[in-house]
Amino acid sequence: MAETTNFVAAQAVNRRNTLILLAVLTLLAALIGYLIGWVLVGSSNPGYGDGPRGVPANSAGLVAAALMAAASVIWSLVSLAFGDKMVLGMSNATEIQKSDAPQLYNVVEEMSLAAGIPMPRVMILETEAMNAFATGTRPGHGTIVVTRGLLEKLDRDELQGVVAHEMSHLANLDTRYMVVVGVTVGLIALVCDMALRSLRWGSFSGGRSSGGSKGGGAATIILIVVLIIVAILAPLAARAVQMAVSRQREYLADATSVQFTRNPNGLISALTKLTEAAEPFPGVSRATQHLFIVNPVKEMTADTSSLMATHPDLAARIERLRNLGG
Amino acid sequence: MALWIVLGIVVVIVLWLIATYNGLVGGRNQAQTAWSQIDVQLKRRHDLIPNLVQVVKDAMGYEQETLTKVVQARNAAVAAVGAGPAQAGAAEAALTTATRGLLGLVESYPQLKANDNVKQLQEELTSTENKIAFSRQFYNDSVNSYNVRRQSFPAVLVAGQFGFGPMELFSMPESEREVPKVALR
Repeated sequence: MAETTNFVAAQAVNRRNTLILLAVLTLLAALIGYLIGWVLVGSSNPGYGDGPRGVPANSAGLVAAALMAAASVIWSLVSLAFGDKMVLGMSNATEIQKSDAPQLYNVVEEMSLAAGIPMPRVMILETEAMNAFATGTRPGHGTIVVTRGLLEKLDRDELQGVVAHEMSHLANLDTRYMVVVGVTVGLIALVCDMALRSLRWGSFSGGRSSGGSKGGGAATIILIVVLIIVAILAPLAARAVQMAVSRQREYLADATSVQFTRNPNGLISALTKLTEAAEPFPGVSRATQHLFIVNPVKEMTADTSSLMATHPDLAARIERLRNLGG
Repeated sequence: MALWIVLGIVVVIVLWLIATYNGLVGGRNQAQTAWSQIDVQLKRRHDLIPNLVQVVKDAMGYEQETLTKVVQARNAAVAAVGAGPAQAGAAEAALTTATRGLLGLVESYPQLKANDNVKQLQEELTSTENKIAFSRQFYNDSVNSYNVRRQSFPAVLVAGQFGFGPMELFSMPESEREVPKVALR
């Protein structure tokens, strides 16, 4: 994909990759719901596995999968309604007017025109570290936050590149996207955890009381072992998919940023400065790290661009931007 | 049976007409909104330039020629407002060139560059230039996708009947395509 030479193609590739990842995630959630419903109801049902009496356990799996979906939707809606208030509350940023930082305000205004979306709120975070993030789950209610360090150390073109990147997150609705992905991943982790707990509990009570049934016993044990393995691995897999989505959206925002500014050099030069500075960011939790333009928690080196990184390796991002410029 | 088939076809055609009509309306509205954004920025530039000219004039009595050129270009651009994308585009392009000359002039005089009023106006003018460029970019992208939509088959069969004519791009001469770069140190 590194050979992509224009932003339209880059966007198309990214959208497709994200869709595939989302589908994988949804499938994983449904599968886990199904498996848990099947095993939990099945294992507490003495006749489980004895032919026709196994059928109700199957429908319990379907019910559990449906419950997973419903819980995911409700949780997503709640997060979408209150998510950006919570993020902004956690980050301690203050809203500015044009007179406080005319150039920053102007640049944001320019990028909102380029993106054709309403002017977002502009906030400054008082820290020397160089970073920026965008939040907002409804179009027209976005917020772009930059740190004081970023504002002071970047020139106008570089600032424009960074703001364009954040504007892309708003225009592409990434903030909404990541909320939904985050909720699904959280739900998978929660349910797997619950399954492991109740299984421990269930194997002592339900397991003994049903000790009289023989034929179903072995099958149940195999299923329980499968469930335990799945319950341990699924949250990790879901987390890896979430990080992959996050990295795709970062690449997409970089490409869209170039669509807005038609000048890849600003963002390239900004990212280069950010690589050089690369100071960890005090007071940022892992809960919000994926929002920033570069990861604020840990330094980005080649070996952190692994399965569990929220952001692609900076060198790889710069490389792709160079290809856009070429 | 035949009646149902005919009815079905009619329903499909009506649904398609509605979708096409709404799609065209959406595209045209987006382009019109984008155009009004350009208008706002052009007007802003027309208002800003006399201020900058005045400040430069106050700070120094010379370089009258550049100032006169800017004022003339600005007046021509104001006169072209509402004359449609083609005429306005030409006048605005001339104004961009003149303004850039003025900003370049400011750059070459340290005492002007140090002036706070000038600095502020310089940032405002640079930003307005950018805003014009970016809103033009978005307008042209919108017009482009609208024009493609109304010319595509099968929408092209009905776009004319519904009164969806082609829209005009807002073009400035080739040399003006880039966002003007003014070094702000």
